Amino acid sequence: MAAASPAVVFDHVSKRFILHHDRPRSFQEWLVRRFRPDEDVEEFWALRDVSFSVARGEAVAFIGTNGAGKSSLLKLINGILTPTEGAVIVDGRISALLELGAGFHPDLTGRENIYLNGSILGLDRRTIDHLYPHIVKFAEIEDFIDMPVKHYSSGMYMRLGFAVAIHAEPDILLVDEVLAVGDAAFQTKCMHRILDLKKRGVTILIVSHDLDAVRKLCDRVFWLQNSHIRLAGAPSKVIAAYLDWVAQHQMDDLAEEAEEEAEAKTEAPTEPPAETLVAASETPADAPKPRGPTSKAIVPSAARHPDATRWGTYDAEITGVEFLDSAGKSAQAFDTGDRFTARIYYDAHKPIPHPMIGVAIHSEDGMHVTGPNTITSGYDISVLEGQGYVDYIVDDLPLIAGAYVFTAAIYDFWESTAFDHHDKAFVFRVRPGAPERYGVVMLPARWAHTPIDTHDTSASAPVQADRLR
Amino acid sequence: MSVMVNRARRPRLDKRVGELLRYRELVRNLVIRDLKARYKNSVLGFLWSLLNPLLMMLVFTVVFTVMLPSNIPNYPVFVLCALLPWNWFAGSLNGGINSVVGNANLVKKVYFPREALPLSVVLAQGVNFLLALPALFAMMLVFRIPFTAWLLLLPVVMLVQLVFSLGIALFVAALNVFFRDTGVIMEVLLQAWFFLTPVVYDIMVLPESKLILGHDVDVRRAAFILNPMASIIANYRVILYWGSPPAFDFLIRTAVTSLVILVVGYWFFIRVAGRFGEEI
Repeated sequence: MAAASPAVVFDHVSKRFILHHDRPRSFQEWLVRRFRPDEDVEEFWALRDVSFSVARGEAVAFIGTNGAGKSSLLKLINGILTPTEGAVIVDGRISALLELGAGFHPDLTGRENIYLNGSILGLDRRTIDHLYPHIVKFAEIEDFIDMPVKHYSSGMYMRLGFAVAIHAEPDILLVDEVLAVGDAAFQTKCMHRILDLKKRGVTILIVSHDLDAVRKLCDRVFWLQNSHIRLAGAPSKVIAAYLDWVAQHQMDDLAEEAEEEAEAKTEAPTEPPAETLVAASETPADAPKPRGPTSKAIVPSAARHPDATRWGTYDAEITGVEFLDSAGKSAQAFDTGDRFTARIYYDAHKPIPHPMIGVAIHSEDGMHVTGPNTITSGYDISVLEGQGYVDYIVDDLPLIAGAYVFTAAIYDFWESTAFDHHDKAFVFRVRPGAPERYGVVMLPARWAHTPIDTHDTSASAPVQADRLR
Repeated sequence: MSVMVNRARRPRLDKRVGELLRYRELVRNLVIRDLKARYKNSVLGFLWSLLNPLLMMLVFTVVFTVMLPSNIPNYPVFVLCALLPWNWFAGSLNGGINSVVGNANLVKKVYFPREALPLSVVLAQGVNFLLALPALFAMMLVFRIPFTAWLLLLPVVMLVQLVFSLGIALFVAALNVFFRDTGVIMEVLLQAWFFLTPVVYDIMVLPESKLILGHDVDVRRAAFILNPMASIIANYRVILYWGSPPAFDFLIRTAVTSLVILVVGYWFFIRVAGRFGEEI
């Protein structure tokens, strides 16, 4: 094979899955099926007439929503799946970071599993002998190498799996969403190792939702959608197009959802949750009976989080929350530094004097980022009556890339009665692109560098900050 | 550098064998995994490979010398020299049937020639057989059964059994991916097979002429022809217990039958192996 020949070629490849809704699992069913051929079969084309080629030493990524066919594509390269039509031509030895430690046997030691896993990847014993010390060192498990892996922590297990796969001297490396291995330090190490392999001319094909990593690592990006390649080209171009599409798509979904929600509300008013009854028992006897939310959603509302909960007396209701971008347009995705406005629409069924309007932002993994309210901010609203909206405005959004969950609530001044609390109910995203990548916020900060002249005895010894522990 | 072409076309048998040879290190490690994992969690470890057949021998000896006397001299050796190969065969099938399904996580995630899985089971059971042989030789010494030169044919008989077991194991391993009740059926089948094979009795007790449904049937011959295991077990017994030359014509015929079964089993296996990744 000439060096210029491509490493991977897809030649009009289609992959069809037959979804048997009740596939015969036993001989009896199979026999019955023979006489009743009208079985309930559905076809699903994971890939349809896909052609492309990847040059030797190139790093490409496949992005797209779940179910777009990305993982099937890697499995076709790997040989786990066979194409229904067309051909996949692979030139070189493949190593796959698909499922780390898939071949480990819990009763065998780390050492024995390295040899077993290495041979599953097609290595001979001499090669494994040679790679062994590097693998152990990389996985950072020197002290545990002769212990059965069933006693390993999940982190050690993953590290060992990654170490074996990454050292398998591949010509072609397949990576499926496993860049999130272990702690941050190990992730950095993995990333370095992959970049190192790339430098050495290894062809890399990855499937990832981590667009930042994709941008950093890849020469070319394929956007898969509906079993086809929708767009291919430079990472920045394809990722931008993909994000635009995602934002647009989410908007469409939201509009649809809001419509459905409105319909649902008119058809069947939801029962008030149990908390309402507790709150109601504290209200005076002559107060109107507790009721569920009555207002119809008449405003555009952000996407609702599946785990959202809602409680309150519903004397004043939040009828919707809308997120607005710098231009004042409804949006679901923002860039770091944008002006971000959360517009909270209310419908007060009775006058609420000096209400407390509160919001909270949580990161996707549950971290409480902020939780301001109108009282602590010293913003007094004399009374809520009828309908209107309250804006929570962040001029310079410091959040970095990720999904965030938004809470909105109306309480009385003393924060003792909840009128309407939508807990972790709304979702918005911040697009990647900010220079910072770690944590959740970018603080308004700057750097300054001062060298210290060590010969200058008059300089005072540096004072250390308090250390943890 | 190897170019792999993945397309819908059926793979060729010879190419697959070549690939399997390249993965021999994997087969070796799977065999080691099988053996190590089996003995690691038991106190007596590999002693079980010796103890288990000896205990079974004891049971059959009590049954067939005390309860149902068969008047076979040195019955313990008579039964043990058949029991060991039978255990190898039964173990190969019981293990082989789950070899692909039981490694679903591997099959779905990593590519390697899948036939390595049933092959490693049959080989691991073969190693067990070899480890148990000293127990048999010890029994032969105890009962003063002479070791003859025909013992040198042992590897030949073993090879025939390996070929036959592998063919069946490949077939049932693949079938079990698509029909999960293969295991249940196999259990009954193995039980029947055990009694149809002259393990605890002498093949010579089978009648050469018996009227079945109005037809004169040579039951002994039928057992030999229809059941390769009968011939294989009989050959073990001839060279170990009787110390006499095997019936070469039967041995060759059985070898050919076994080879045919291996080719058919292997052909079936690789014909459907491409679908394991999505069916399992």
